[in-house]
Amino acid sequence: MTEIIVVTSGKGGVGKTTSSASIAMGLARRGKRVAVIDFDVGLRNLDLIMGCERRVVYDFVNVIQGEASLKQALIKDKRFDSLHVLAASQTRDKDALTKEGVERVLNELKEMNFEYILCDSPAGIEKGAFLAMYFADHAIVVVNPEVSSVRDSDRILGLLSSKTRHAETGEKRISQHLLLTRYNPDRVERGDMMSIADVQEILGLEVLGVVPESESVLAGSNAGNPVILDAASPAGQAYDDAVARLLGDKVPMRFTEAQKKGFLTRLFGG
Amino acid sequence: MPANSVRASKTPTPAANRDHAAAPEDLFESKAAATAVVPQRVADLRFGQVGIGQLKLHSLDPALVFGEVEARVQAAPQLFAMAPVVLDLSALPSPPTLAELNALIASVHGAGLRPVGLAAGDDATAALARAIDWPLFAKFRPERDPTPAIEAIPAAVAEVVAIEPAPAPEPVIVEVPVEARAVGQHHAEPVRSGQRLYARGTDLTVAAMVGHGAEVIADGSIHLYGVLRGRALAGARGDTSARIYCQNFQAELIAIAGQYRVFEEPVAELHGKAVQAWLEGDKLKLAPLS
Repeated sequence: MTEIIVVTSGKGGVGKTTSSASIAMGLARRGKRVAVIDFDVGLRNLDLIMGCERRVVYDFVNVIQGEASLKQALIKDKRFDSLHVLAASQTRDKDALTKEGVERVLNELKEMNFEYILCDSPAGIEKGAFLAMYFADHAIVVVNPEVSSVRDSDRILGLLSSKTRHAETGEKRISQHLLLTRYNPDRVERGDMMSIADVQEILGLEVLGVVPESESVLAGSNAGNPVILDAASPAGQAYDDAVARLLGDKVPMRFTEAQKKGFLTRLFGG
Repeated sequence: MPANSVRASKTPTPAANRDHAAAPEDLFESKAAATAVVPQRVADLRFGQVGIGQLKLHSLDPALVFGEVEARVQAAPQLFAMAPVVLDLSALPSPPTLAELNALIASVHGAGLRPVGLAAGDDATAALARAIDWPLFAKFRPERDPTPAIEAIPAAVAEVVAIEPAPAPEPVIVEVPVEARAVGQHHAEPVRSGQRLYARGTDLTVAAMVGHGAEVIADGSIHLYGVLRGRALAGARGDTSARIYCQNFQAELIAIAGQYRVFEEPVAELHGKAVQAWLEGDKLKLAPLS
């Protein structure tokens, strides 16, 4: 049984690709067979963050257009054998994707017995984003604690419940999860960032996970090591908790409270 | 509201020669008698309520009119963009010349509304209507304001007034709109930003939130059992008795029968409270539900 998960947001720069990479990695680390597809044709990034950019020979568009087989295009991760990456094309645009082509690739991946297919959506609500979400069974909506990101997520949640295959056939509901990233409890406490409760109230959904703002995220992305591999990083641990919850485990939220400052840090600044 | 319809046939009937302004009751009866003789159907002439607005112009300056009308259209494009309007010239400082009228029509058109006729008024208006071959709408009965002092009020360059539905004459051939339903439309899912929900010919109940930038529209009343952060438009086809009930009011805009109000800033007495909205005349009223 294959579950198709779209990672989407509407707004750009909120951490879709970072989250796709970490969640894919986290699922694979738990022994799941995972394929992760970059739908951002023309602005390919996933391979960079996964650290396999120099191994891309064929890409998603080549497979859709029949120029390469899926086996040729799938890049096996060096850390986890059960994780495969299908890179986007940097030289084409989103029109190279077709609904039929995407469906064919997803069906082929199902036949290859992948348990999870992650679709890393481009920003926006145009063709690339539409095709990334269309065949999904689950959606992870990445949202930052700020008003424009929350508004765009609301829009995306509306599209998920109306413009996807499950919505059109009406046979089952696409399950929707919120992933709150770049969360800074100190700034929330000071009142200049939206709280988890604010976001949940506006969107009417519970969060799947809360990833704190952390320097290790950028450092990991630049090195091609998704932050979930950094066991010392709160962001990495938060992603791992989110993966556990995605698989049905009950895990308490962490890193959501402001750090109590000790006497010395208050004196000398933290 | 049921639309009334008559069947017109090719065969001339006494009614066919009548003026359009003839009392609808007479027209219906004579037409109905005619159909009994000639049953074949050629065209349906219906006198039902249609969504048409009245634009009362207070200024002859095309630029001012354009600015004001465009602002209205932009404030509620789903209500006003491409909406047909009848131009009421009775409040203008002086009767327009043909050139002035054409400039005003172009302004209103350019601003997004679609002028379709003139509101019947004095002889000058009738002459203008003849000159541009436009229909005169008799129903509005505008009277020229006797006190020119009203023009000193700068606020209103133009006002959009929703038309009261005409009292329905006893129909001879009743065509019940197929959409009319005794039980309203029910929706249990959140209405998200960018989504639009329309209950045609009936009430709308939403048992979930309505997000920022979402729109819920009904020809009847609207009942919202979640937070309303978006827009709610009741009486979309002009039913002025429609109401909006809302459990947690944080709306961006509400409208009933074309009368709308935007909430740029939260209103302290209403924000987050259970609120109802209704029309009194052409005034949109809101009050907390106690």
